[in-house]
Formats: sequence, C-alpha cells, structure tokens
Amino acid sequence: MQKHNQKEHLYKLLVIGDLGVGKTSIIKRYVHQNFSPHYRATIGVDFALKVLNWDAETVVRLQLWDIAGQERFGNMTRVYYREAMGAFIVFDVTRPATFEAVTKWKEDLDSKLILPNGKPVPAVLLANKCDQGIDVLMNNGIKMDQFCKENGFVGWFETSAKENININEASRCLVKHIIASESDPIQSVEPDIIKPHLNSSKIVSCSACFKS
Amino acid sequence: IDELRKLSWSGIPKRVRPVAWKLLSGYLPANVDRRDSTLQRKRKEYFAFVEQYYDSRNDESHQDTYRQIHIDIPRMSPEVLRLQPKVTEIFERILFIWAIRHPASGYVQGINDLVTPFFVVFICEYIEEEEVENFDVSSLPEEVLQNIEADSYWCMSKLLDGIQDNYTFAQPGIQKKVKMLEELVSRIDEQVHRHLDQHEVKYLQFAFRWMNNLLMREVPLRCTIRLWDTYQSEPEGFSHFHLYVCAAFLVRWRKEILEEKDFQELLIFLQNLPTVHWGNEDISVLLAEAYRLKFAFADAPNHYKK
Repeated sequence: MQKHNQKEHLYKLLVIGDLGVGKTSIIKRYVHQNFSPHYRATIGVDFALKVLNWDAETVVRLQLWDIAGQERFGNMTRVYYREAMGAFIVFDVTRPATFEAVTKWKEDLDSKLILPNGKPVPAVLLANKCDQGIDVLMNNGIKMDQFCKENGFVGWFETSAKENININEASRCLVKHIIASESDPIQSVEPDIIKPHLNSSKIVSCSACFKS
Repeated sequence: IDELRKLSWSGIPKRVRPVAWKLLSGYLPANVDRRDSTLQRKRKEYFAFVEQYYDSRNDESHQDTYRQIHIDIPRMSPEVLRLQPKVTEIFERILFIWAIRHPASGYVQGINDLVTPFFVVFICEYIEEEEVENFDVSSLPEEVLQNIEADSYWCMSKLLDGIQDNYTFAQPGIQKKVKMLEELVSRIDEQVHRHLDQHEVKYLQFAFRWMNNLLMREVPLRCTIRLWDTYQSEPEGFSHFHLYVCAAFLVRWRKEILEEKDFQELLIFLQNLPTVHWGNEDISVLLAEAYRLKFAFADAPNHYKK
C-alpha cells in the first residue's frame, strides 16, 4: 500500500559498453538476483524494470535499457538514448580493449544526449568481472579517480555480476546524482561534495561517493 | 523445383529436409546428375577459403572480427550444442570466413544465430536421435563434419545474400523493415497500433530483434526450422514474407497487448513473448495468417488505407 505523501520517481537508465563486458549479467543480477555465464548476446535493446524504496517517502522506478554492445557501430544509439536520465558505462577488467572503448562510449553518449539544464547525463563507470583476479587496470585506484574526473564520470565501482559485488551500491550512487541534479537543475552537484552513503561490508571503490 | 516449393511451403518431413533445404536455397542444382560434383566442388572451395583466410584471424586487421565472433558463440542456443568445443570451432570458422568474404557488412551480432538451423538440420542427416540436443557432435567422422560445415556455410551465404542490407552499416534493411512493419500493422489492426503508440512503445524497441534474428530469438529452434521450410519455399521469404509473418506474430498477441496498460509492462511482454511451448501447429497458424495478410495487404497496398 502506498503512503499518502509518497513520491514516485521514474528514471530511464542506460547500460552501455563493448560487447561481452557483462551488461546483461549486471542487469539480471540487479533485477532478478541471479547469474548465468550463458546469457545470449543482446540484440538491439533489452528492457528491465527495478523498483527501489529509496527512503520512507520516495519510491524510485528504474527503467534499465540494456543496449547491445555492437550498437555503437549501428548508429541507432541516438534513438535508444532519448530521454535517459543517467548511464552506466561498463568495461571488462580482464580485457583492456574494453576499457579503451569507455571514452568512445562516453563521447557517443554526451554527443547525443544532454539534460534539459544543458549538462551531460550523470554517468557511472563500472569495472566489471572484478572477481576474475586479472585486475590489470585496477591496481592503481588514483589513476581511475583521475580518469573519471577527466572524462566526466560521477563515480566508478569495481563490480561483479557473478559474485554480486557493488551493483546495488553503483546504482544508488547514480540515482543519488540524478536526484541531486533534478532538485537543483541549474547547478548540478559536484562529485566532490557528495557524502558517503555506504553501509555495505563489501569492497567499495567509488571515487565520487567516498570522498569527504 | 517449383513442385518442391509448393510441397515444402506447409512443412518438410524431417527425413528429406536436409536435401530439400539444399535444393531450395539454390545450393544444390535441381539436376540430379550434377549434384555430387557440385557438392564436391563447393566443399573444396570452402576449405580453400579456410586455408587462405583462417590464419589471418589474429592479424591486426581481423582480430576484432574474430574476437567478437569468439565472444558471441558461447552465447548462442541451444546450450548443449554450443558447449561442445567441436561445434564452437566449426561455427567460428564459418562466421569468420563469411565476415572476411563480405567486408561491406562484416560480422554483425545475430548472424551467428543464422548458422544454427542449417547446422542442426544437416546434422540430422547423420544421426538417429530424436533430439539433436543430446548428441555428441565429435562422435561423427571428421569427413562428415567437414561436409556439414561447408554445406552450412554455403546455405547461410545464400540466405544472407537475400537480406544483405540488414547487416551493412547502420543496418538500413532492418530500419526500413521495422518502419514497414509499423505501417502494415497500422492498417491491419489499428487498435493494437494505437495502443502501442499511446503508451509510447516504439516498434524499433521490440521488432529490431525480430528482423535482425529472423524471429529466432522469439520462438524455439524447432519452430524456426519449420518457419524456414516456408521461407525457403516462398519467393523472398526471408525478406519480404518475413514482414507479414512479423505482423501476424504481433497481432497474434493482440488480446494480451491490449490488456497491458503501461509502457513498462508492454515492453517487457513484447520482449519475452510466451512461446516456450510452441510447436509446428502454432507456426502453421502463424504462416497461414501471414499468407492471408500478404494477399490482402501487399497486392492492394492502398485498399485499406483511409
């Protein structure tokens, strides 16, 4: 039963990144709490819905748009990006080439989608498959912080869809930035003044959410 | 061959399907005397391509293509087939050679699915089992596997020749077909069309995959195989007639669609249509309806327009 003064938000979130980095797995884990190593390659766009009880007064409904990894070449991303409020850009920590593609995805996103206040949509970077132990890129956390700053990400997380690491946390981080940018449409909140919002014992490494 | 087309339209018996498909696709000549020599020549030709190109898969210019194929193959269905290393090897070769030989499109996700029906049908020529799914492919003699591989390659090539613009840059064929589907449905069933429109469901959001994978993701493999009996008998089956099948397929769910009252539920339904238990009968009904639509709406495209 809904309370009388409950507010409801509906946000469209994009999940993008090169093929095979685990976008579908992350969404299935987040929405259905399960994992399979054999999801079929996404064709076009897959759609999922997640409902969050954000706080006592707020329900957040997330429309998750899982966009096929090959789409960047297909020129159809513009249609899928329309009216999105935030994005996850995913790469696979075991394959450096997928990290190199991150900036291309970010450019593609920012060139095709701008918030009504003229700013780029908040984007969180996900370093997926962190359970694989081949963390070629993650050995230097400071570099990642720098990378996010330079490329306009509001934060980054090491995630694992398989082991369920940091996916809820990453989502909360993104939603928080969306809510913040909504409530103050002229001046979006800078990453550095976001307070930590963490109560998980799992490994957390989001530059934006951790800084004081 | 025309006789064969007529007979095949309503489904081919499993026993003769391998040879019927090879004939219908144009891979095998209708003339019986020339069949063996053609097969031999084509199989030799394919393996000459393999010899010539396959080593280049790790070259700078081709490694992206190979890597994409390599990532996608373990993500196909049916599960039991794709988990066999022998099968993976064969699929990788077929897809890589095709991509290299067709640089205008190269490898596009979804093409990998299109090998499966040919491979499964051709393998059924050699095995007794009712279900291919429990079959250990590596138990077949090497020579038999090579023949299946070459035949699958050529039949898939023939199919793709007819729908090439589905897979060239920006996939114009698919964009066009999705638009045509929308236009067609608006004439066939205005109520469903309006309902989707009202809830801001775009055809591209669900029908892109229908075109890109020829409905293979929407129905079980056995149904795809039955569907392809007809597609190969029908002129422009995989391109033009497919459009009418898609329209019939969408309207088939009109009751469920009209019951869903919001964007989320509609899209989730349309992307996960409940066809798990579908069999030949369902496909036959679908095809009959598609045929009726083609008759009523293609041959007189403006007849029903207001």
